[in-house]
Amino acid sequence: MTQTRIGRNERINGWAFIMPALVIVGLFMIWPILWSLWMSFQTGRGMNMSFGGFDNIKRLAADPIFLTALTNTLTFLAIQVPVMIMLALIFAVLLNSPYLIGRGFFRTAIFLPCVTSLVAYSILFKSMFATDGLVNQAIMTLGLEPVAWLGHPIPAKTVIILAITWRWTGYNMIFYLAALQNIDKSIYEAARIDGVPAWAQFFRITIPLLKPVILFTTIISTIGTLQLFDEVQNITLGGPSNATLTLSQYIYNLTFRFMPSFGYAATVSYVIVILVAILSYIQFFVARERR
Amino acid sequence: MKLLSSHSCKVLGLAAGISLLSLGASLAEDITVWAWDPNFNGAAMEEAAARYKENHPDFNLHFEGFAREEVEQKLQTQLAAGTTEGLPDIVLIEDYSAQKFLLSFPGAFEPLNDAIDYSGFADYKVRLATVGNETFSMPFDSGVTGWFYRSDILSEAGYSAADLENITWDRFIEIAKDVAKKTGKPMLSLDLNDPNMVVIMLQSTGSWFFNEDGSLNLKDNPAFHAVMETYGKILQSPEIYKPVNGWAEYTGSFTGGDVASTITGVWITGTIKAADMPGQWAVAPTPRIDGVDGAVNASNLGGSSWYVLASSDKKDVTKNFLNEIWGNDVEFYQEILVGQGAVGSLLKVREGEAYKSSDPYFNDQPVWQMFSDWLGEIPGVDFGIFTYEVRSAIATQLPAIANGGDVDEAIEKIDAEARVLTQ
Repeated sequence: MTQTRIGRNERINGWAFIMPALVIVGLFMIWPILWSLWMSFQTGRGMNMSFGGFDNIKRLAADPIFLTALTNTLTFLAIQVPVMIMLALIFAVLLNSPYLIGRGFFRTAIFLPCVTSLVAYSILFKSMFATDGLVNQAIMTLGLEPVAWLGHPIPAKTVIILAITWRWTGYNMIFYLAALQNIDKSIYEAARIDGVPAWAQFFRITIPLLKPVILFTTIISTIGTLQLFDEVQNITLGGPSNATLTLSQYIYNLTFRFMPSFGYAATVSYVIVILVAILSYIQFFVARERR
Repeated sequence: MKLLSSHSCKVLGLAAGISLLSLGASLAEDITVWAWDPNFNGAAMEEAAARYKENHPDFNLHFEGFAREEVEQKLQTQLAAGTTEGLPDIVLIEDYSAQKFLLSFPGAFEPLNDAIDYSGFADYKVRLATVGNETFSMPFDSGVTGWFYRSDILSEAGYSAADLENITWDRFIEIAKDVAKKTGKPMLSLDLNDPNMVVIMLQSTGSWFFNEDGSLNLKDNPAFHAVMETYGKILQSPEIYKPVNGWAEYTGSFTGGDVASTITGVWITGTIKAADMPGQWAVAPTPRIDGVDGAVNASNLGGSSWYVLASSDKKDVTKNFLNEIWGNDVEFYQEILVGQGAVGSLLKVREGEAYKSSDPYFNDQPVWQMFSDWLGEIPGVDFGIFTYEVRSAIATQLPAIANGGDVDEAIEKIDAEARVLTQ
């Protein structure tokens, strides 16, 4: 069929239509990605770069700050993503119930943080969690000791996790809400008639039916958290003794704050790429259809 | 149906052309400056611009103020990207970072040897802005340090100016504890992310983070060890300092009366005077480190110079402006000394009146003479190119020291981290 003239015309037309988008993606995404791969093999200070072979990878292996940044990033990932996904799921199921009054208001209220500016809300969180900020004042009126939120490693990490969760839960919740609309109500009716309790309905019916959407949001959240930058830069600036330093922030420091090492920064950024690839593969594997 | 007749088209075109031309002409002498601290650098630059404008009415200066780290990061980002649109004509760079910029981005800055006579300036300022035989800066202020204290709070605790003259840090800690007990006010506000005090203490001993050849001088450096021990003692006495985060909180702490003093560069005068508390402030010499040969009661924090970007299209006007006012106007330097506390690096301005005068804001102390004297005592050091990397490594260990950690262990870790960052 593709040998006919009409078929060929259609093929050419098809390519012609996507050409502009392909060219732009190629120029602004593929080309910089390849160039940064080339840069990751260069060493040198500032603009004086020269080919260094595997020097950057050797430097990576011996770099304690990189290890700290990696540990922090993976810690945030391991704690924040599951908490947020569960929270978003629970909110979505709650807000899907037809008996809840003011559903529209709650949905808007939970989704609103996603449209706020990253820097604006980070600065607000920073002032709220300052030593004499709102949160400590609230704690003191309850009669408890004020916490040095931004002054110690674990409280600082907690603040970051709270900030990210507050911001992105609504985003994931919307995905689940949309997917929940597609589940046939008769399934739940049948389960109720069979005497299945609510929590079992949630775990045995809702979650398996939402699997593709959960997989999608988990991967998106993983990628987002691995690239965490705005919150840590604005709230803790890498935290008390690098306790909240993330990989993206380390790259920023290497490129724009310290003596610029563009090649090494490109190498660290490829670590993020590899991490994202590995974690996405693992998640696809875990969620595969078992036949 | 034609929307515009050819006649109205021509008229419109002519009008547009004329307005473009006049727009171009009116932008002829507009200079943009990037710097931090509008109370200090901004005020000084505006004063200079006003003086220059008297003889050159077309001259217009636009001062854009950000935080110091932001100016440097913004500049570094744009220079790394290679785009020159949006870059200013003049930028202020702190002396610690000067070599970093000059060496990382060759060709980004304009050499000023043909416009300025550098023999009239302090030698150390010229050296730090020189690569090869080209010098790139208009030297600006020195960061000669002083102990700015609230004279009313300290006299309430029973201390006069004579009690604070040329003391050691151990005595300082004693006095601070006493003041905290009697008045309830901590003596200092410290930002644990920014080891300014370590920098001040270290330069006052005549030592620095680096040796002459650029290698790290941290581990087997007795001066650095003494400095970290002293700072550790301060950090382990939480009643004598208030922890702050960032510039706004820091300046708010002493202008708002939460702390009794601050030990920092003379450039804080702009902020202190802007707080409008005349007669409540006084200045004492920087405390000195005990037990190190050659330690003095004088040090330096910061200090910066003006640089001209090579991408500027108003280079001639800029160079002329810098030379006429910043390079020669002695009266201008007297103004910015008293108004902002800008201790200039132009040697002949020391002869001026203001440098010998007393200041009613500081209880009629001859502060400017004091700062001039201390300026002469500051031990000269070569800052090298990695000062900020080492400062970052020190900031990482400060919380551990504040919690009573071992100083030697902390120095080992600082050295290790600095080694990684200074590759």
